[in-house]
Amino acid sequence: MAQGKFCNREKVDTLEQLQALLNDKGGGQYYKEMQDLDVDTDLLWATLQKTLKEKSRIKAWLEICAHCGMCSDSCFLYLANNKDPEQVPSYKIQSTLGQLYKRKGKVDNAFMQMCMDTAWSKCTCCNRCGMYCPFGIDMGIMFSYLRGLCFQQGFVPWEMKIGSGMHRVFRAQMDVTTEDWVETCEWMAEEYEEDWPGLKIPIEKVGADIMYTVNAREPKHYPEDLAEAAILFHLAGEDWTVPEEGWEETSLAMFAGDWEACKMQVQSVYDAMERLKPKRMVVTECGHAYRATVIEGPYWCGLKTGQPPVESLHYVEWVAEVLRNGKLKIDPAKKIKEPVTLQDSCNYIRNAGLAEYTREIMSYIAEDFREMSPNKDHNFCCGGGGGFNGIGRYRKQRNAGLKVKRDQILQTGAKLVIAPCHNCWDAIRDLEEVFEVGIRWSFLKPLLVEMVEVPEHLKPQEEEV
Amino acid sequence: MATVEFKGKSFDVDEDGFITDYNQWNEEWVEYVKEQEGIDEMTDEHKLVIKVLQEYYEKNGIAPMVRVLSKLTKFKLKHIYELFPSGPGKGACKMAGLPKPTGCV
Repeated sequence: MAQGKFCNREKVDTLEQLQALLNDKGGGQYYKEMQDLDVDTDLLWATLQKTLKEKSRIKAWLEICAHCGMCSDSCFLYLANNKDPEQVPSYKIQSTLGQLYKRKGKVDNAFMQMCMDTAWSKCTCCNRCGMYCPFGIDMGIMFSYLRGLCFQQGFVPWEMKIGSGMHRVFRAQMDVTTEDWVETCEWMAEEYEEDWPGLKIPIEKVGADIMYTVNAREPKHYPEDLAEAAILFHLAGEDWTVPEEGWEETSLAMFAGDWEACKMQVQSVYDAMERLKPKRMVVTECGHAYRATVIEGPYWCGLKTGQPPVESLHYVEWVAEVLRNGKLKIDPAKKIKEPVTLQDSCNYIRNAGLAEYTREIMSYIAEDFREMSPNKDHNFCCGGGGGFNGIGRYRKQRNAGLKVKRDQILQTGAKLVIAPCHNCWDAIRDLEEVFEVGIRWSFLKPLLVEMVEVPEHLKPQEEEV
Repeated sequence: MATVEFKGKSFDVDEDGFITDYNQWNEEWVEYVKEQEGIDEMTDEHKLVIKVLQEYYEKNGIAPMVRVLSKLTKFKLKHIYELFPSGPGKGACKMAGLPKPTGCV
């Protein structure tokens, strides 16, 4: 069989295709079909020649790796798996992408399945190895590239194919339409207005100071996150808005290696920026959303500046700013008294250098802040990045990898972990579920809502009596 | 695939403990998840959430947005969390026999 009904080289561009894939629960049929999926070796080699050019960094990296092994201990999956030599980053990339190139794309089904399993279950694209390689070889970047080759050939985990299909159909990683989004914003403003008089979620306002963008999971499954963002903007007196379209900043397409959908998705956010002309954009507490839209996106869209159309901030930059300039003030009596630690998201700490912003926030809100070790740019991945959390096929491997983060957290002695990233938040929630070590986890927003001083005129009515 | 045995009934579950065959859903499953989720007592309100989730899923093949759930049950978001502390996307869907939502959840 060349291509399956579900597992194939076709892109998921229609709701019908998406629905059919979803109905194949857990990808049962999908993975069966993958056993027979052929490899289009001509296409693979043509793509390699086109994208792995002479003097490209990935090609240079493949060639100059000295197999010194310095990257070994940098990888949390190597550490979590009893230093298994097959988990050494250089081995993982040389045995997959390196071989693909050496064999000029002449590989078989079993090889492609091995590439898929390696690219999605042995690397979260956290890029930590790149900091320890004497040549600066970044295997995370190379694995992202390998994911693209796997995606093109149809060797991609079921949930990732669905994720990229969602972006193609809905311009969001979940089935949230423009109407759904707008209605959810209106609903949240209405429901929370009882406690926060005057609360609004301004939609599609032109020329606001801030355009706020989110993760589709917020309107779909956790709308309180959106309400909390609105409350904090409201209390800080910000002039803000959300776009009607182009509000989704995440990119499962990036995790899936669907390069075409990466561009489609991020372009919708840039279009919103052009349409609404905000002074700045702020994205919710998500790591990979920031990476996709602020770091990688400009290149996907061919923006010569390498920057998004308007200045773009991660949520932690905004929080640090308003605490610093006094737009939000923390009630000293409500600061966190118990020991608390902080998860550094790879995507905006290691890959965007925002570590000091989160430390600044901690200095305002916590009395006993305890750093994990290592931390900041050197922190380990939460254990669930790069799509790892969301792929059922690799649950055992993901859970094994969580041990490193569990031990880091336990060593701090803190029972509360602040995780300003959805992926990290999920991984820490899951590690508690798996290991039952007695920790709690939180985004910044719910903590801040409880801690900030509320100006008299914005206080809930019952407190005015 | 793992199997859960509870009160004489058997359920095939995925790696996150969601049932893989919607047809296996029954009252015993509800009771099983209730204990897991730490819900003290199943009220008519819990049952209404389950019913709405199932009706939507049977029609659309996917879990509804929380907004839809709130509209159809007339429950406020805070109340949905009171009923299902781990949230509508996890606990309630699991109890209703829906598959685990895909994506970043």
